[in-house]
Amino acid sequence: MAQVTLETNGQVCPFPLVEAKDAMTTLAAGDELVINFDCTQATDAIPRWAAENNYPVTDFSKIGPAEWSITVQKA
Amino acid sequence: MLISGLFVGMALGFVMQRGRFCVTGAFRDIWVTRNTRWLTAFLVVVAVQSVGVFALDAAGVISLNSGPFPWLATIVGGFIFGFAIILAGGCATGTYYRAGEGLVGSWLALITYALFAAVMKTGPLSGFNTSMRSVTVEQSNFYSVLNVSPWLFVALLVAGVALAVRHHLNKPQFKMATPPASKTGLAHLLFEKPWNAFATAVVIGLIAIAAWPLSWATGREAGLGITTPSSNAVNYLVTGDPELVDWGVLLVAGILLGSYIAAKGSGEFRIRVPDAVTVLKSLGGGALMGIGAALAGGCTIGNAMVETAQFSFQGWTAMVFMILGTGLGARLTIMNRRPSSGSGQARVPAPTAARS
Repeated sequence: MAQVTLETNGQVCPFPLVEAKDAMTTLAAGDELVINFDCTQATDAIPRWAAENNYPVTDFSKIGPAEWSITVQKA
Repeated sequence: MLISGLFVGMALGFVMQRGRFCVTGAFRDIWVTRNTRWLTAFLVVVAVQSVGVFALDAAGVISLNSGPFPWLATIVGGFIFGFAIILAGGCATGTYYRAGEGLVGSWLALITYALFAAVMKTGPLSGFNTSMRSVTVEQSNFYSVLNVSPWLFVALLVAGVALAVRHHLNKPQFKMATPPASKTGLAHLLFEKPWNAFATAVVIGLIAIAAWPLSWATGREAGLGITTPSSNAVNYLVTGDPELVDWGVLLVAGILLGSYIAAKGSGEFRIRVPDAVTVLKSLGGGALMGIGAALAGGCTIGNAMVETAQFSFQGWTAMVFMILGTGLGARLTIMNRRPSSGSGQARVPAPTAARS
């Protein structure tokens, strides 16, 4: 099971989600994608996308002021 | 009571920041993800407000009257504005509240937006703007052309929006992940908990209604508006004429302040400097936003949210062309940004992705 980290800090919405979707297509089932982002709107858009696609979110934490990390597993 | 503008602006900035309410996102999602959740939330604001403004009008608190419809400038300006908000990464109000979150790209977009709004309204391009806006038709709104009560349209809009909301709420419910809570009670609700899109929209609709009588009381006979106040703020800064600081100028200043308070209180404020490409897009997008909004007679708030609630031709035409402009902008900058990744076989890793 691989874990891939996607750094999107500095990118405004919708690009963190656009990049996450792209990166997800390169993963195998069971792999995890760690998305680091600092766009506020993505706190809604990314977990919503994960939920709608039935991808488990194995970690979601606020790591600093306007900085988040979410780990989404490809299912 | 000019100061009420500041408080209404603060409430609006606070709610938009906490609710992640983004009109650009609402219009963009129609094209990029074919999702109408945020568009529906946006129309909830329009519907709530239309009930309020016609009730206020009937009660004699305000009196609505729309002038001739400047169709050419509305179409051209709406389209330019829609395209521009994709470049700038947010509409006029979105840019104000993101500026309050510390996004330097939004500061730049805000400066060129306000500057070009002033250039078009009172500066060297005001002649061009006036001549474009003088191409008009007499008919100004749906209900007077059809000679029916505006309440018929209010009822139709409310019913249509209610059906759309029901459609979204009837979707299978799923549990959305959130970061672990670190606050409790009211602090959790105000500064941490993700807000529901439709609840946020109802609150924004109520703020938009309240704006009418409060602004009216100061002699500014309008509801929420962003572009003319931004232009007035620029004119005030360069002339020092205190007459220019009206309810609207305090409103837009309040949006900045309110979103700063929301972002700071929830640990979401940080000064973030963008890369060179984003700087150019923000500057250019902001300038086109100012030009487009001045031509169309309003931005996503003044036109697409406030004029639409009055069923004016200008509001609905501007909204349709803003959405079309957003579609072109999204196609050029979001959907086509990595043409090679669409081929399916080529495993193109994101440039910054690193396997560990």
